[in-house]
Amino acid sequence: MSTPIVEFKDFGFKYKSQSAPTLHDINLTICKGEKVLILGPSGSGKSTLANCINGLNPFSYDGVITGSCKVAGMETKDASIFALSKVVGTVLQDSDAQFVGLSVGEDIAFALENQSMPRKEMLPKVEWAAGVVGMSDFLMHVPYELSGGQKQKVALAGVLHGDVDLLIFDEPLASLDPRMGMTAVELIDRMHKEQNKTVVIVEHRLEDVLYRSVDRIVLMNEGRIVYDGVPDELLASDLLTRYGIREPLYIKAMKYAGCELTPDQNLSDIEGMDLSPFEDKLKQQQLVQLEKYVPKVGEEILKVQNVSFAYGKDPVLKNISFSVRRGEKVAFVGKNGAGKSTMAKLICGIIRPREGQVLINGTDYMKYSIKEIGEKIGYVMQNPNQMLVKDIIRDELELAMLLRGKSRQEIDEAVKKTLKMCGLYPMRNWPVSAVSYGQKKRVTIASILVLQPEIIILDEPTAGQDYRHYTEIMEFLDELNREYGITIVFITHDMHLAIQYTDRAIVFSEGELVADDSVFRVLSNDQVITRANLKQTSLYTLAMRLGIEPEAYIEHFINYERMVRAHGQQASD
Amino acid sequence: MDNRLLINLIPGETFLHKLTGKTKVRTFLILMVYIIMSFDLRLIMPLSILSIMGLVSLKPQWKIIKFFFIIIGLMNVLNIVLFWLADPNIGTMWCGGTTTVLFRLTERLFLSAETLWYLCVRFIKMMTSFMVSLVFILAITPSELAAGLYSIKVPYKICTIFSIAFRYIPDIGRDFQNIKISLQTRGVELDPKKSSIGKRLKQNILILVPLITTSFDRVGNISNAMDLRGYGRGRTRTYYSEHEELKADKVFKALYIILILFCVYWIITQNIMAETLSMWYPFV
Repeated sequence: MSTPIVEFKDFGFKYKSQSAPTLHDINLTICKGEKVLILGPSGSGKSTLANCINGLNPFSYDGVITGSCKVAGMETKDASIFALSKVVGTVLQDSDAQFVGLSVGEDIAFALENQSMPRKEMLPKVEWAAGVVGMSDFLMHVPYELSGGQKQKVALAGVLHGDVDLLIFDEPLASLDPRMGMTAVELIDRMHKEQNKTVVIVEHRLEDVLYRSVDRIVLMNEGRIVYDGVPDELLASDLLTRYGIREPLYIKAMKYAGCELTPDQNLSDIEGMDLSPFEDKLKQQQLVQLEKYVPKVGEEILKVQNVSFAYGKDPVLKNISFSVRRGEKVAFVGKNGAGKSTMAKLICGIIRPREGQVLINGTDYMKYSIKEIGEKIGYVMQNPNQMLVKDIIRDELELAMLLRGKSRQEIDEAVKKTLKMCGLYPMRNWPVSAVSYGQKKRVTIASILVLQPEIIILDEPTAGQDYRHYTEIMEFLDELNREYGITIVFITHDMHLAIQYTDRAIVFSEGELVADDSVFRVLSNDQVITRANLKQTSLYTLAMRLGIEPEAYIEHFINYERMVRAHGQQASD
Repeated sequence: MDNRLLINLIPGETFLHKLTGKTKVRTFLILMVYIIMSFDLRLIMPLSILSIMGLVSLKPQWKIIKFFFIIIGLMNVLNIVLFWLADPNIGTMWCGGTTTVLFRLTERLFLSAETLWYLCVRFIKMMTSFMVSLVFILAITPSELAAGLYSIKVPYKICTIFSIAFRYIPDIGRDFQNIKISLQTRGVELDPKKSSIGKRLKQNILILVPLITTSFDRVGNISNAMDLRGYGRGRTRTYYSEHEELKADKVFKALYIILILFCVYWIITQNIMAETLSMWYPFV
């Protein structure tokens, strides 16, 4: 049990391209058979730390190591990425890009091919690895037929062979919907328990990882380890909020209720922990009278009526009807391929309905071109790099206006106003490439807002961002909604986002609209949750255990949180 | 999923599909030499018939094939017409010096039996090489191509380019679509009815900027994924897609070895040692 497999001693790492070190004074030992979560906000160095174990640092990303890091007895700076890859298997975040084979079988075999293993020996190993991750029936499938979760399983199978003792998962939940995320966490747990692998998970989604127990959590901030110990102690402390990690919802609910949390209460296991000491407080909290939140909404600006759409013969949207009112915040939720992105494209006029009608301010939009619709409905893509075409922030904002042949004066006015709205005015002359990912996101939103659309649709606005940046973006959008009355539609599978920042969820499954209701009602409806590949939040579990009606409980929590947020804002104003 | 495009990613079920990449690549290369080396219809015709049989046996999607046939056919017709215009007497040189005029348009432009023969053989030769290539493309998967090239001592890092390219081209296509959509909503007009070709070309260039940025991001991820699984570690590598040689592969091997010997003999006697260029002409 206590043979160390990874040993950092006074370790530091500085990328060649950066002036300051990314990691400082790392002292960390991971023993064989442990399951460790490395937690931290973006830029805390958690991925850098993982890459120092698998050899990407310094062999692929050049840099300087100080101190020592031993992996399976090898001093990493003297070893090679190849030698390390025999002991350490890494599953990267981008499940699509790491799929290098043209079929599942080939991808699983990739490492073996590189070892020049004869095909005869390769076949049983590939079959075994595919079996372990449950992909045996897919060996002859091409990557384009697989879901994100399946690709991730293949990636895992591809590093399982031979002497690999240590598995590193770099943000395994980043691109999965909630249900797939649960499956991934279960699978990782099975690797730990059944295959006896040492597991290191790099994530910032604490609650989702804790769905299966971990032995230890290492919390990082600004390149240093700030906590290294059991999960329960971390959950009871205030370190998570201090370092910008989202607390599990049930822990937050308990803290709101004023429960005294201590490390010996089995806090990481919501199903198993003893609630009796908290029951009174939690129930009392429920009695606190809160101002009922009523969203300010205006007239109907978008109406979708009995819309159907198909690519070729396969129907993607079936008889969908809903409407959006001015000033609303709506979430489109559902698993990948459920039709939510297609719906967004349809609303933007990129594809047009086969049947049914889309009305914008009461007018059938068939007579508008995509460009004209773009002035009323803006669409912000998930990946800002796919949207940014100009070098300078200001030019990026001007583009849409220039393409519409507006006068110089009009352009200057609109751009200035938008830059100010988005807090980008001081950076207006900066090159786009010089700003952070979150700021790029803001630039893309600004480049859409410049046309003063009535609705903006955002595809996964928080993908790839940690809680701090996530909150920043969402608060910014909330402000746009509050101050400027812009209607916002989110496409997301992040239920936390839906809970905290939207008034209404429209749930898609297999091209059908299965629910159109307030978020808390959707989240307390078992049937909808299953059909849409969503997941019960821990609030639901907590409510059930307390014997409180989940719908009421979740609603109360949301309202309470809104109040806390509003007060927080007042305090900071 | 197979035959969805012209290129398969997963091997098909027919006889030719089931050969190894090594056999496919080697046979293809030999056949190309075989076609190029002569203008002899006695050599070309059998291969032409075999390639048609091969094509049928692969059960391709005729809709796409037809399109290619029409394009290539038209180009070849254009090619022989240009040949004729350039030198109406070209057949005489090849067919032993006689000129049998069939009809005459002007003093310079006439059609002789010899030239007609030469141009017909030329057309059949070009179409045969097209069909052999088509059979090859339809029968092979990119991974088998990589394995096949590796078997003829092409360094594996070059072979990998082929398989990796086919893996990621569809992804880049999807990125392109996404970028196009976002630019269209921002006001880029790509509708041919509403903006001129010049303008559309210029705006398509706008798409390239983010396409290149996202592709570079992807390349970084791909190369990390490959490094982490030991790519480039050894001098040699093996291929999962390259199955053991079956009986058919051995038969093919025997055949292409005989063919190599024949080609060597032919090239030496008919091309290198020959006094003049000539072709088989049955109507002397």
